[in-house]
Amino acid sequence: MAATRALLAAISSSCARRIKIQSSTSSSSSSCSILQFQRRESIIIARSFSSDTNSSPDISRLAETARISLTSAEIEECEPKIRQVIDWFGQLQHVDVNSVEPAIRAEMEGGSLREDAPETFENRDSIRASIPSFDETYLKVPKVVNKE
Amino acid sequence: MSTTLLRTIQPNHFTLLGTALFRRNRTTTTSRHISVRCLGSQTASSQPRTAPKNHGSNKLDEILRDYEAVIGIETHVQLSTSTKAFCTCPNTYGSKPNTSICPVCMGLPGALPVLSSKVVDFGVRLGLALNCGLSLKSKFDRKQYFYPDLPKGYQISQFDVPIASGGYVDVDIPLEFGGGHRRFGITRVHMEEDAGKLLHSDTGDYSQVDLNRAGVPLLEIVSEPDMRSGIEAAEYGSEMQRIVRYLGVSNGNMQEGSLRCDVNISIRPIGQAQFGTKVEIKNLNAFSAMSRAIDYEITRQALLYNQGQADQIVTETRLWDEGAQKTVTMRKKEGLADYRYFPEPDLPEVILTQEYVDSIRASLPELPEAKRRRYEAMGLGIQDVLFLANDVSVAEYFDQVIGKGADVKSAANWLMSDIAAYLKNEELSISDVKLTPQELAELIAAIKDETISGKIGKQILFELLAKGGTVQGMIKEKDLVQITDPVEIEKMIMKVISESPKQLEQYRSGRTKLQGFFAGQVMKMSKGKANPALLNKILLEKLDAKE
Repeated sequence: MAATRALLAAISSSCARRIKIQSSTSSSSSSCSILQFQRRESIIIARSFSSDTNSSPDISRLAETARISLTSAEIEECEPKIRQVIDWFGQLQHVDVNSVEPAIRAEMEGGSLREDAPETFENRDSIRASIPSFDETYLKVPKVVNKE
Repeated sequence: MSTTLLRTIQPNHFTLLGTALFRRNRTTTTSRHISVRCLGSQTASSQPRTAPKNHGSNKLDEILRDYEAVIGIETHVQLSTSTKAFCTCPNTYGSKPNTSICPVCMGLPGALPVLSSKVVDFGVRLGLALNCGLSLKSKFDRKQYFYPDLPKGYQISQFDVPIASGGYVDVDIPLEFGGGHRRFGITRVHMEEDAGKLLHSDTGDYSQVDLNRAGVPLLEIVSEPDMRSGIEAAEYGSEMQRIVRYLGVSNGNMQEGSLRCDVNISIRPIGQAQFGTKVEIKNLNAFSAMSRAIDYEITRQALLYNQGQADQIVTETRLWDEGAQKTVTMRKKEGLADYRYFPEPDLPEVILTQEYVDSIRASLPELPEAKRRRYEAMGLGIQDVLFLANDVSVAEYFDQVIGKGADVKSAANWLMSDIAAYLKNEELSISDVKLTPQELAELIAAIKDETISGKIGKQILFELLAKGGTVQGMIKEKDLVQITDPVEIEKMIMKVISESPKQLEQYRSGRTKLQGFFAGQVMKMSKGKANPALLNKILLEKLDAKE
């Protein structure tokens, strides 16, 4: 269901963060050497993640950070499904990457940069018209005091 | 020990990681560890640093005998590019709200970001100017949070692989605050985009958003926590401003918001290895405010320590209240913010070639630090050096004047006194004056070779500044050539003496101060053109001779 898909997107980004934070306490000298460090120490933190039963995703916190409201019934329903999806991805951990240079991101064609030449978008009126709470000059929004 | 160090320096994730990643040379974490990095007149390691002179506040000096302040600064620099970072919307200040928008910066479905080459250029430029190592491969990440001024629900930034890291900046502390050199470390420089502007309405139940600023390119500079006082922090900030203006990457106006500084400050009893709890201060609109806010915060925290209430100091963000001249709680940070960083899938790696970096390095202008050292080597005093190197246009003007052969000290004096006063009065900048560097050099030369007197020089300076023209032209036009013929001067002196017999008698009977009266009369007669030295010499002879 849509809520599950949305939650998974939120989880995938928090997983990445957790791996990085664990390695930060070991004072590695560059992010690329995170995996190297792990190899040296024979502790493959990334691999242990999928079988780590202590770190089941905190669904209610995830839902909160993603601003998705779930009832407690929905939370209970989501949890095993999300766990299953993560474990399914966990298969990737079994690949031997010891001889592969870590990439900083998944490769993409291009690297194309744009020239610094201004162009006004011709249809700004329709952008503004499509904003329900636009009041002539500004977007009117509810008052929010705290950033997340 | 290292986890303690990391935990207490900065509260949010990425800098936690940042300090871990980029602290290459640190093998120890002893208490003097941070202060060792600062060069200059302070001794490192064992002795407590002598507290820098403050604004004459004895209370603060007392506190600084017992406590050490540890200060780091995060600076956001808005780049003066023509377009936004990831779309071709114009990047201009002061446009009508919500007119510089497009689907990309509005975060509309299906729109994709495309990075501007200028942003990379400016990033490399600033990284090199701050003596950083560059990451030839870096990437963008999404920093996710919800806020009305953030259309996409995330900010495109650089999390763990910034474009530049591990640098330093050298500053000179102004003489009135103790002088001396300092070196402050730079942890990292990274590229990111700005959010829109949020205005809170007075009625209180709604706010207003202007997205002209959303997507404007920023460079964020994170310093090492090397500053130890409000003055050091203010000088660091000023140097950042100087550098971005010298490079031309930003206009560095704090009032406009193109340069924003947030201060992170903690204190600890001198000798303690562990860092204290860190507090963030925002809403600083000027370097002087930064300095005062830091002084206030040091005092506030020290007071709590002294009262045994150090635990009342919590990790939080405080705002500087300029009216009340104090920091106030904005919100308490409940735990670390979770930005759920992940690599931005819509943008490729940023790849720099060594040739590209080298070509930018070769095109860097002379930076403030290099200029200051060069001016010092020319024999100028530090006060002059700091003045001349502060504004890149003034320094350029000065360089051109001495390039035409003018005497260094004279050129410096003219710029610092008469010309500076004129600029201040007329509210102009050096680029507006009609006096060309060539003509200033001429003026200096004309005074030096005694064609005109110094006083006359000052007079025509004013006119040259306002209306332009040439020195030679003015001298001719107004017949200003100095009278240096002793015979002529003597004639005038004899005339004056003969016309003032009363004063002559008074002089002869002891009122030698009246020499000034005679000199003044001769000057008047010569329309200010008599050479003063010669005048006085001959005058004295004549006055004393007839005795």
